[in-house]
Amino acid sequence: MVFQSLKMALNAIAASKMRSFLTMLGIIIGVTALVVMVSLVSGATGAVTSEISSLGNDMITVSIRADKGSPLRLEDLDAIKALDAVDQAAPSGSMNATAKYGYSDAMVSVYGTTAAYYDIQGLELAQGRFIKTTDVNNGSYIAVLSDEAATELFNRTDIIGETFTIAGRAFRVVGVLAKDDSLMSGMMSSLSVYVPFTVESRMAGQPYITSISISSANAQDMDATEDAINRFFMKRFEQDEDAFSLMNMSSITDALGTVTDTLTLLLGGIAAISLLVGGVGIMNIMLVSVTERTKEIGIRKAIGAGRGSIMMQFLIEALLLSLFGCVFGLLFSWGILEIVTLIAGGISFAMSPSTIALAVGFSSAIGLIFGLYPANKAAKKHPIEALRYDG
Amino acid sequence: MAADSAPVIAMRDITKVYTVGGEEVRALDGANLFIHEGEFVSVIGPSGSGKSTLMNIIGCLDVADSGEYVLDGQNILQYSGRQLARIRNRKIGFVFQSFNLLSKMTAEENVELPLIYQGLHLGKRKERTRLALERVGLSDRGRHKPTELSGGQQQRVAIARALATDPAILLADEPTGNLDSKTGADILRLFHELHEAGNTIVLITHDERIAKQTQRCIRIMDGRV
Repeated sequence: MVFQSLKMALNAIAASKMRSFLTMLGIIIGVTALVVMVSLVSGATGAVTSEISSLGNDMITVSIRADKGSPLRLEDLDAIKALDAVDQAAPSGSMNATAKYGYSDAMVSVYGTTAAYYDIQGLELAQGRFIKTTDVNNGSYIAVLSDEAATELFNRTDIIGETFTIAGRAFRVVGVLAKDDSLMSGMMSSLSVYVPFTVESRMAGQPYITSISISSANAQDMDATEDAINRFFMKRFEQDEDAFSLMNMSSITDALGTVTDTLTLLLGGIAAISLLVGGVGIMNIMLVSVTERTKEIGIRKAIGAGRGSIMMQFLIEALLLSLFGCVFGLLFSWGILEIVTLIAGGISFAMSPSTIALAVGFSSAIGLIFGLYPANKAAKKHPIEALRYDG
Repeated sequence: MAADSAPVIAMRDITKVYTVGGEEVRALDGANLFIHEGEFVSVIGPSGSGKSTLMNIIGCLDVADSGEYVLDGQNILQYSGRQLARIRNRKIGFVFQSFNLLSKMTAEENVELPLIYQGLHLGKRKERTRLALERVGLSDRGRHKPTELSGGQQQRVAIARALATDPAILLADEPTGNLDSKTGADILRLFHELHEAGNTIVLITHDERIAKQTQRCIRIMDGRV
């Protein structure tokens, strides 16, 4: 019976192709809007998220806001490093200063840190070496420059052994970092210069540690690491949770996720409205169709079609219209996304199975809901009056 | 031959009242009617005499307001719309004045339609469709659409559709009304053949000449038989 109704509905749709297509158009546009918008957002999110996690998801940054009379010194880092959950820890003091070489100068971010920072941040050297523990202990005036900083200041990157000044003090270049062309480095200032922590703290007039980068011993269980660090600092700062704050990349990813979820919901909601409008279009045409086919309904009823059969026939017709629209919409969106991927390069925008399922589910629901009223109207027609109808 | 068998149609005191513009119209007023198996009966009456109403009630398209109607041993009056559809499907074969074929379907599909509503399997449907078309002499026109057939052929398809379900009665409402006299005579000849093959036929008409050709003639006037 369902199969027969399906066949009848297919015949009815095929009988007036232009009208069927125009009816589907609402659903086609709705589905395309829904799928394209959701896929674009999730594609962009995926790209950004993978950039962030490439920065190191095993890193936790601690900022000290109030020292409670017992400020953090370099020696305290050993206690943090001793925690089971912690792999390495490095201070990161920072200040902005003017760097000069010959006649060129540039505003750079100066980071004062120790040798461990290199591994924690996942930095990469192009040449030379990074800061060593002896540099920190001796307070040596040496510096490692980012590729951008070197280019800005020296106009070249083979500058090992060159001397330049930061805030009037002379520094010798011992290393240059590799060029970082990830998405995130583009967003953040990259004119960075790394110097020993002891040197930076003296220049900034801040002898204590205010910011620490910590890498977790177990990247899979960041929560445990965070807990351990949190407990350590709570003890250190007399249970005052306002004295410090923890931040890791996964919390940034989480925040980003919340934002994009909201965005997806918003755009999806707008697209859903256009789907709804498409549904009204289907209902409209189905009502016209039911009236047009009154005679047919009368004949079918006279030769023994029950209410159920007539209802099923028209309901399936509405459902099919909606689903065909959905399929066309999906094909259309697939094309659009392919083109966008081509244009965007790098980032791939693909339809996820869940998006497809959402589109199909939503279209079927709309076909059923908006088909119900016309189908019921058809099923309720009285056979005698329907037979008498001249259309 | 069939006079002693139980009646296929037994109507007692059937009344049907329509309200038209606030006025009651008694389309049927205590009509009694008995038709036995294998009979070829015509119902004749001028327009407005209630013969359409009678046909609708016999054909289970409508339900009488009062009275008793037993069709093939089943009391119809308290049936629901769904059960009536079932009865129409299985017990009654309609032949209309204006053929009432579905123009988008082929002759075969039109004949097959009531069988689909019976829920028969494909093989059985095809077999019965073939037999029904054979009986009306249109085996070679199965793939044609109604618009490609002449009036007489269309009516034959309609008769095949009515026969396909092997109904208890064949109910024909002015089957020759839209045909010229020659094709009309052909169709009547077909009815006679079907009658001889054992079908119960009720033919509704306003034409005395057609009515005379049948076994028994029932006259209806002002809602009374």
